[in-house]
Order: sequence, then C-alpha cells, then structure tokens
Amino acid sequence: MQPCSREMQAMNSLLNPTQQIPLQDLQINGNRHHHQQIHVPSSSQFQYPTPTSTTHHDDSFLEQILSSTTSFPWSDETGPPNPEDNNNAGFNYDEMVLASKLRQHQINGGAAGNPFAAMKMMLMMQQQQQQQQMMLAGRPTVASAAAGGGITTNHQGGEGSMQALYNVFGDGSLHGTMQAKSFVGANSATEMTQSQGSGPTAGEAVTAPEKPKQRVRARRGQATDPHSIAERLRRVRIAERMKALQELVPNANKTDKASMLDEIIDYVKFLQLQVKVLSMSRLGGAAAVAPLVSEGGGDCIQTSANGGSHPRNSNGDQTPSANDRLTMTEHQVAKLMEEDMGSAMQYLQEKGLCLMPISLATAISSATSRSRNPMINHENPTNGSHLLIQSSGGDGPSSPSMSVLTVQSATMGNGGLEGGAASVSKP
Amino acid sequence: MDSQHLNPSSLKSRFTARFLRALIKINAQKPISSSSPREIFQRYRRIKVAADKSMAYSVRSRRTWSRATLWKLRSQSRRRLASSGRRSSIKTRTTTTTTITTTSTNHRAAIVEKTSHEKENKEDHVGLAVQAEELRELVPGGESMDLCNLLDETAHYIKCLTTQVQVMKKIANLYSLE
Repeated sequence: MQPCSREMQAMNSLLNPTQQIPLQDLQINGNRHHHQQIHVPSSSQFQYPTPTSTTHHDDSFLEQILSSTTSFPWSDETGPPNPEDNNNAGFNYDEMVLASKLRQHQINGGAAGNPFAAMKMMLMMQQQQQQQQMMLAGRPTVASAAAGGGITTNHQGGEGSMQALYNVFGDGSLHGTMQAKSFVGANSATEMTQSQGSGPTAGEAVTAPEKPKQRVRARRGQATDPHSIAERLRRVRIAERMKALQELVPNANKTDKASMLDEIIDYVKFLQLQVKVLSMSRLGGAAAVAPLVSEGGGDCIQTSANGGSHPRNSNGDQTPSANDRLTMTEHQVAKLMEEDMGSAMQYLQEKGLCLMPISLATAISSATSRSRNPMINHENPTNGSHLLIQSSGGDGPSSPSMSVLTVQSATMGNGGLEGGAASVSKP
Repeated sequence: MDSQHLNPSSLKSRFTARFLRALIKINAQKPISSSSPREIFQRYRRIKVAADKSMAYSVRSRRTWSRATLWKLRSQSRRRLASSGRRSSIKTRTTTTTTITTTSTNHRAAIVEKTSHEKENKEDHVGLAVQAEELRELVPGGESMDLCNLLDETAHYIKCLTTQVQVMKKIANLYSLE
C-alpha cells in the first residue's frame, strides 16, 4: 500500500496536474487491479513498446500509465514538481533533479528537435537510474520507468524524433523489446550498457533516414553540394559521349578533349565536303564533251605539258615547270572562259582538271593538308564525261599536295557558283 | 556488307532507296547532256539537296539535326518557289510558313537564350567553348543545344554522313562503269 502510494505520488509529480485525477482515484482505491479502468488518452503518439508479457504486474501497470502520459506538455508545467512531494525521501528529489535537468535542456532548445541529444539525456537518466537502482532496492523499476516516462513525455513536441527514439529501441537488432524491457525492467547492467552502447550509433543511423533525404552520403574527398553533383554528372555524360565519338572518328587516338574535339570537327567538315564532291561527280555524264582544244593557248600548253594531261598524275611534279604549267593553264582557261564557258570546261576536263568554288577548294586543301584520306573517286578520265577531281591513284592516307590556283572570273557571277569565284586545282 | 545492305529497315537501305528515286527523278527532269556550267552547277546542287534530303528523311524527325535540315531545305525551296514568281497558290502557303518560321525562330531564340544562360551558369571547367561553337555551326540544328546533346547529335550525324558517302561512292562507281 505504501509503496503503491509513493509510486503514485511519484507519478503524480511527473504528471500534469490535470491528469492527476484518475491517478488520485487510483491512489484512493489503492488497488492495482484497478489499473484496467484507467482511461488511456486517445493520443497515443508514442508507440511505447509495451512488453507483451505481464510477468511483473507493476511493470505493466506502470507502462500503461506511462502510455497514458503521452500528451504531457512538459513545458506547460508551471514549475518543477511540487516541493511538497519532496517529502517522499530522496526518490523524488532525484526525480526532481532529473526533471530540472531536462527542463534546462529543453529551455536550451536542443532537446525537442534533436533525438540524439534526447538519447544522451536518456542515457544519462539511465545511468542515474542505474545508480539509483544500486541504492534503492525495489524502486528501480519505478524510477527507471518514471524517468523514462518523464523523458519520453518531455519530447512530445518532436513526435518524429520520439518515434525515432522508439525506433531505436524497437529496431535494435539484438534488443528490440528487450531494450524496452531492460529500460523498464532494469534487469542487468550489461543490458543497459549494451543499450547505451548501441544507443548512440542507432541514434546516428536514425538521423540519416529521418531527414527527408536531403543529402546523399558522399564519398571521401567529394562534395555533397548539389551543384557539384550535377557538374560531376554532366562531366561523366560528356566523357561517355566523347568515347562514343572516338570510335566513329578515325585517327582518334588523342587523349586530350580539346584535340579530340578538333579531330571531330575536322572529320565532320571532311564528310560534308565529300558529300558535296560526290554529288558533283554524279552528274551522270552531264558535260557531254566534244573533245576540243582551243588553238590559242594550245601550243604553249602543249609545250609545257608532258604528262600533265594524263589524269593519273603522280605526285612528283613539284618542279617549277609544273607551276608554270599551271599558271599557263590558268590563263588559258581564263581566256576560254571569256569566250565560251563550255569550251573552257571541256579544256579543263581534258587536262584532268576541274572547276570548283574557292570555298570548296580551300576546304579540300585544308582537309587534305592534315593527312586526310583523299576521298575522291577515281574516275576513268578517258570517259571525259565526268567533272571531277582526280586523285592520284593508289594514294593512301598520305595527302597529295595540292596547288590551288584561283581564277577570278567575272562571267561566273551567278549560275549557282558559291562565292562567285572559281578556282582551278590540280592534284 | 551485302547482307547489311539487304536489311530493309537499316539506315543505309532507306537512304539508298530514297536517293536513287530522287536521282531518277532528277535525271528524268533534265537531259543528261547539259553543257552549260550553270546547269551543271544547278544539277550538282539539286543532287546534293536530294542527297541531304533523303538522308534527313530516312532519319525522320528523330534527331535534331535531321529536323533542322528538313526545315532548312523546305524553307529554301519555298523561297525559290516564291522568287520564281508563282505567287498565286503560294501566298497562303507562305503566310503559314512565315508564321511557322517565326514561331520556330522565336522558339529557337528562346532556346538559345536559355542555353547561353545555362552555359554561363554551369561553365564547363575544361573550356571547350570555342570548339563547341564550331561544332554547332557544322552540325545542322546544333545552335540550341548544350555540349552533351551536341556530342550525341554529332555522333549520329557522323554515322549518317558516312553512310551517305558510302552509298554515293558506290553509285558513282556504278555510273562510271557504264
């Protein structure tokens, strides 16, 4: 009876004055078996892991009371437990100490939102409970339960954090309900130490999923800043694409990104040029050429030309005579152009030359100057019906040196010529 | 290689079919023996356009560059038709096309603005802006893309260009054998 009353008074000291009434009823009744008539408040936000077994009646009874004390606004209390309760020996005083500590902690503002700090508090309480257990015989359960209840009720403002705490107690791999029981039942010191040991780690693990996934746990030496993550992702994607391009582009043994891009650019230019030239070549016998050589410049051309008219020239003609030949050809062609465009074209074709816009010629020269494959078709020149650039036969990846002559012709203003200028080139 | 060519749904076969049809049409329009260089160049231009167009059509609108190429070619042809004097039936078409072009240009301008803004924000550490610009000029429709997508488009574009060149070479060889 007396212990019962003291227990009740202890609970009273912790409880809200408004809720003292049912407990006073209990006090009056003084019967444990009336605990079943206790009205448990509907707000059961705390999933306090009540032990299923009711081996200890006092435990279950206290736990029910504790579960009923969920909605205690600890901060709403006018003050610490009434000093008149101090009459109950040192037990209440210890409780008061703990309660005041909790209040201070709460006033500091750290407790409610920080489950870890709450854990610490609980551990402190547990430690103190342990000490109390050593001291007080027969009261440890009450004390620990009360302390636990007090602490748990303290944080009803941070419900999530409380759930986290209970999760800690509930999800402990080894402990689970054992922890709760040990917390309440105070069986062995080892269990307590175990719970204490796993407490901090569990608390820490809890905090991570507790926050709504704002952070990704970063590897060592890397930032978790979302901007840098996005940057990293972007760089990875660009690297992937560059690798894919490396396979497509020949001569892609460059390791540097910039030079790789240069290669890619050149290759795209080269391919576009190839398409242009090929489409020029597929005129399907466009220029039906009657072979004729204008007499005016034929002599000088013939004298200087040895094998130059043969289309499959070798690259060996780097002598100045070749240049002279070219300039003479140029003049000849210019003269012809003034008279009749068709004859000029035929003359060129016969010589194995072709007329092309300057842009194309410069593009070709720039493309081939980088040891590019000469792309062009080898056509049978005797056919005479194709207008194209002859490539030196059998030339591999080495680039033929091209000498490009430009002929400014006024007559070639329109007619689809790009740039309005033409060039005569010979491979 | 032949088996690949026989695959009816591959890019190569699609392009080949289309291009050959276009070539036949072009050859049917103009007589082959046209000696004036102007006509020669016109023909060249037509063939080139046919090649590009058939390639872009083979890709449909799946890729940005193909869409850009088709759009450009269509606008060019419309301009040609308009300038050639046939205005009666084209008036309505031109109005619609102008609206389309304006919207597309506005859209493009918006995209370019946005991407340039993004470029300023997320600056590439490696500093490949110059080459990126150049690549953008080369690849049709590449003005409004960030580097990542641009590289993707470039890869596909290169693949298609190589196919185009291969097929055209083969056709030219066939022509030359005659």
